[in-house]
Amino acid sequence: MTQAIQILIIGLTLGGVFALMASGLTLIFGVMGIVNLAHAAFMVAAAFISFFAYKGLGLDPIASIVLTMPVMFVVGLVVYRLFFARSIDDPKKRSVLVLVTFAMALVIEGTLGFFFSNIYRSTNPPYAYDAFLMGPFYLPKGQFYATLMSALILGALWAMLRFTRLGYAIRATTHNRTAAEVVGVNVDRVSMFVFGIGMALAGASGSMISFLFSFYPGKHWEWVAILLSLVVLGGMGSLLGALIGALSLSVISAFVNSAYGPTWSPVTFYLALFAILLIRPQGLLGKKPEL
Amino acid sequence: MSTDTAIAGPADQTDANRSRRIFLGIIIVATLAFPLLQVFFGGFSYWLHMALFLYMNIAIASSWNIIGGFAGYISLGHNVFFAIGGYSAAILFAYFGVSPFIAFPLCGLISMGFGFIIGMMTLRTRGPTFIISTIALVLLAKILLDNWDYIGGSNGISLPLLDMPVEYVKLPFYYAMLAIAAGSVFLGYSVRRWKFGLGLRAISQDETKAEVAGIPTRFYKTLAFALSGLFIGMAGALWGYYLTYLSPAIFLTILVGAKFVLMTILGGRGTISGPIVGAIIFISANEFFVAQFGATELNIVATGVLLLLVLMFFPEGIVGTLKRNGKLPAILDWD
Repeated sequence: MTQAIQILIIGLTLGGVFALMASGLTLIFGVMGIVNLAHAAFMVAAAFISFFAYKGLGLDPIASIVLTMPVMFVVGLVVYRLFFARSIDDPKKRSVLVLVTFAMALVIEGTLGFFFSNIYRSTNPPYAYDAFLMGPFYLPKGQFYATLMSALILGALWAMLRFTRLGYAIRATTHNRTAAEVVGVNVDRVSMFVFGIGMALAGASGSMISFLFSFYPGKHWEWVAILLSLVVLGGMGSLLGALIGALSLSVISAFVNSAYGPTWSPVTFYLALFAILLIRPQGLLGKKPEL
Repeated sequence: MSTDTAIAGPADQTDANRSRRIFLGIIIVATLAFPLLQVFFGGFSYWLHMALFLYMNIAIASSWNIIGGFAGYISLGHNVFFAIGGYSAAILFAYFGVSPFIAFPLCGLISMGFGFIIGMMTLRTRGPTFIISTIALVLLAKILLDNWDYIGGSNGISLPLLDMPVEYVKLPFYYAMLAIAAGSVFLGYSVRRWKFGLGLRAISQDETKAEVAGIPTRFYKTLAFALSGLFIGMAGALWGYYLTYLSPAIFLTILVGAKFVLMTILGGRGTISGPIVGAIIFISANEFFVAQFGATELNIVATGVLLLLVLMFFPEGIVGTLKRNGKLPAILDWD
């Protein structure tokens, strides 16, 4: 029993970070209808920024979100302008956009691999190896701080979506792109900002993973598949769904990890993906497709 | 262009047909006779290798085209079929002594069977979720094979060399790959002509309307997915034997699947000659890049950049773009 609660704690604290990682992905899908396969590649790129900020400037990886978030936001705006702006409203071109993101992921992976080589790296601030002890349980400090930070960022995102005019426009566009355009929402601008925000969230996630996991350029495929599986479980485009998916799958995978070893914990996510496709293809909170 | 053909119709058509037939005849004779150079003169080992590698990729691209081109469902995980074919041949050979040259059609059928089962699960949804599931499929298959000790796990499995004089050892592979490529192209050509192919095209245009028109869309999609695994499985079966060594890292990286996609899109998906043109250009370019930069990270970058450029500027591929502008040479217009 004690052990089960311990695993639950580990799973939930990792789940918060997974939710942060997935939030950008699901937000972009909701507004633009694009699955961004490069999301995790951008995360790894941000993790490299955090890594070098930590090694070079001694900047704490959690604090380095002040660097990664703005940088990735601008990268997001540029990428949107270059690759998506002209194709997003053309249904024929839109169907290949997912391949565009796939190609971007390859370019990022190869470029990072070329300059920094495919060795395992991680930032190692002191709290990454420390834990709070509470009676029979322990709570790894790194995971705890990361989840706290993720909750803060997600809370800010929620407040932005709920209370600002931009957030209102984003929700309207998610709900119905054409109708939003009809009532005067500048859908193109909203999409651009959403892509920027999604990338900024990827940037923050990159800072978190830089000390939670060891990373190398080729690792992003594993992450993007994990993120996509929990986004599909929650329902594509639903933020709350992504949160539920992240927490539940991360707890399950923590149990699998302790029972069968770390090799098999990613398998949880992939099998869950196939199970969802069999049972409820639209996900827990997803919109049922027409027909 | 349509008015042109209407006016100049039949004569032009027969002309085009004749030139196409002559062209195909020359290609068939040339490909069948090419190994004679090795037999009589020797020293063509490298070119035999390149040719059979090319045939394999033509087979793969034409097969991928059935689901990715005709049906419009982009699969980034078709290298799973490649691995299934390769490993089923390796198991049959290493443990039961059945030569892959006898077993390869069976291996194709096995991977087609897997394709049917996987397709029944992953093709329940439309659009992006399918793509996601194909990526997850690659990663899942890699973990499973990495940990399956019966076939060597991540260390891979070695197969004995084909027992033949070294200068002739490539010949059986050459002809087998040629046959697989021909079969794959012919399958694509037939599918295009069947009612089934018409249904797939309807699905790629507008799946809802296709469903309303009475096309059994889910069955068609699943069948297309399975059929596209048939020849890729066969190619995998012989490729593993040709390399005499199989490991999950050879077959099951994302980059391998990405190259399948790139070849087809480069040539023009949804056309018959597109995958062939794409494979020829891609394999030549790849050989050049590997010779120049080595098969490392820059190879990944080059693949990604090429894919980006094609998608941004020629989303219909070489054959598709030429065809739209009415500039496609008749000898390549096989549709």
